[in-house]
Amino acid sequence: MSTHRTRWLLEKELRELAASRSYWLLLLVIGALVGHQFMTASSIYAEASGAGGGPAALSQGLSPLEGIVVPTLGAYDIAATLLFPFVVIRLIANEKQTGALALTLQSPLPFAATMTAKLVALLAAWLVAGLAGALALFTWRGAGGHLYAPETMTVVLGHLLRGLLTIGVGAAAAALATSAASAAIVALTVTLGTWALDYVAAARGGVIASVAAYTPSAALRVFEHGELRLATVLILATLGVGGVIAATVWLREGEAVSRRIRDVALVGLAIVALCVTFARVRQSRDVSEDRRNSFPSADEAALRAIHSPLRVTVYLAAEDPRLVDLERGVLAKLRRTMQEVDVTYAARGRSGLFERPDQHYGEIWYQLGDRREMTRSTTDEIVLETIYRLAGRAAPSAESERVYSGYPLTARLGAIPWLFFVAWPVCVVFAWWAGRRRVVSRRRSE
Amino acid sequence: MSFPPPPPPPARARESPTKTSSPGPIQSVDVRVEGLSKRYGAFWALRDASFEIRPGEILGLIGPNGSGKTTLFRCVAGVSPATSGAVLHAGEAIAPKHRKHFLYFVPDGIRPWPDQTVQWVLRFTAGLHGATVRTREEFVETLGLSSLLGARLRELSKGEHRRVMLAVGLLTPQPLLMLDEPFDGLDLRQTRDVMSALTTHARSGRTLFLSIHQLGDAARICDRLVLLSDGRVAGEGTLDELRTRAELGPAHSLEDVFLALT
Repeated sequence: MSTHRTRWLLEKELRELAASRSYWLLLLVIGALVGHQFMTASSIYAEASGAGGGPAALSQGLSPLEGIVVPTLGAYDIAATLLFPFVVIRLIANEKQTGALALTLQSPLPFAATMTAKLVALLAAWLVAGLAGALALFTWRGAGGHLYAPETMTVVLGHLLRGLLTIGVGAAAAALATSAASAAIVALTVTLGTWALDYVAAARGGVIASVAAYTPSAALRVFEHGELRLATVLILATLGVGGVIAATVWLREGEAVSRRIRDVALVGLAIVALCVTFARVRQSRDVSEDRRNSFPSADEAALRAIHSPLRVTVYLAAEDPRLVDLERGVLAKLRRTMQEVDVTYAARGRSGLFERPDQHYGEIWYQLGDRREMTRSTTDEIVLETIYRLAGRAAPSAESERVYSGYPLTARLGAIPWLFFVAWPVCVVFAWWAGRRRVVSRRRSE
Repeated sequence: MSFPPPPPPPARARESPTKTSSPGPIQSVDVRVEGLSKRYGAFWALRDASFEIRPGEILGLIGPNGSGKTTLFRCVAGVSPATSGAVLHAGEAIAPKHRKHFLYFVPDGIRPWPDQTVQWVLRFTAGLHGATVRTREEFVETLGLSSLLGARLRELSKGEHRRVMLAVGLLTPQPLLMLDEPFDGLDLRQTRDVMSALTTHARSGRTLFLSIHQLGDAARICDRLVLLSDGRVAGEGTLDELRTRAELGPAHSLEDVFLALT
């Protein structure tokens, strides 16, 4: 009986979504966005592969992950920021504004079941919107393009979690705000806030940078780099589901406001506690085909055998591009490989341009046990040599690693405009029209 | 006009974590509202409202606009928190979140699911609350909704929408059904038909609690009345009991009684 009722709730939410103009608009726009991104990316990729008659780039640099998958699916980041929040807000705020909430609260199932049905329906809606991206990737494969399933699926997972995060923020905004318009303002303010956080973190580093690592843009970049980081997955899922739980708690209008405020605050605290805990989880997998997030296997084995904590003191400002190189090329890999890596960012200035020359600016100190050594290099080979010296180990002999050969493709995909700017919108409009026509004709027949 | 009996009560009531708030599967209703108050800032919309809802009766809540009828309904139904007071069933206080196990409340002025068809809304309500297809079809027939089944709720007139909401309420299984202004927006003939339908429904064992601002309508359909004025209960009882309390003769109407007691 309970399953039967849950099915009714889910059907209601799906029907409400199908009746939502904002969702049809999202479907219409996402086709154009994905099409434009895909067309641009595949054209550049073909040119880089030598299609234009000019010199081709080194084939090792032609990775479909960053050449095709990331830019094409990047359309979903725009949609998750500027379109999908309105779909989420409409589904929840409408329930409040029309008075349906009073009836829903009296459903024989717990109210949490109603909100779970909304969550499932919205995730399904996000997946349906993902068909445009799937169409692009199938087109790429059909044209002979290469896709490496683990890294592609990781990017897809990133966008799925990005959608879940949007659902959480939108649901919480719609529940807490008095109207859909106010909720939209709240949701956009949250987005702007995360952008501001990214900006400040890039300039300041430190704790702010640690927090900013989980803003939607920063978190998505992890997946786009071909890294499956458990902490990022768990935190995005916690924030998304947590937002829906907060909305569920707040919408129990039969409870006193003071009690609902207390319960929402408790949910907020639980979310923060979980995120702080999950941020310590270090499990991560490099799923990129070119192993861009990893040291060579022999080096990884040697680093794992070092059990002493590695302390790194970096005298580089947050805005210094050398720090960006160091973070991506060395520190991120070290954190993934070694058991304990403790990094201290010691530069006080923000830009590095005006540090006094007698200060340590530019130095990077590595310490293992009581042995310390300084280098100014940000390349992984030199840093690894430094660490091996500190550990008193010889550098492992270079094994014959599989060399990433890249996947050039000179084919021009002439079908893209037809697929995304003609066929996709026609299909979307037809589906919308067919749904409406079914209802209208039924009334006429009676 | 034949009227189907109410759907059976839910097969299983959710267990309550607190011993005072679990109603269990309730078959009949015997409710006492005790000292219910509701304050919005400095304004008291309800003050110490107490009255009884007896099994199988049609109880009318009457009062002028702004007297607190809707607030009282929302607080009793548990969809709005009361500042103080309790709703007791068999002498036991029922927490707001558990009241849905023995009552269903159809608020006034709501326009839920405007993009869905009447047919689907009735199917959804019946499916969610376990009403049979036959029951649903009988309510459609009785309330004259057959010609509206294919229409979206947003396309309905006020009276048509009122009848759909009435059908939604009647399809639920709870032993107490609370309808806020069920005759508002209905024409004379529709009002008479709906009254007849509700009376038949109540005879089948379901308790009805109706909020009505038209005193003539209330006098015609209700077994007992609760008079509300400025958020206070000014009287409770049958029309005869209220006349006696107001020291008025049998020739006096409910309007006279109301004016005398408030």
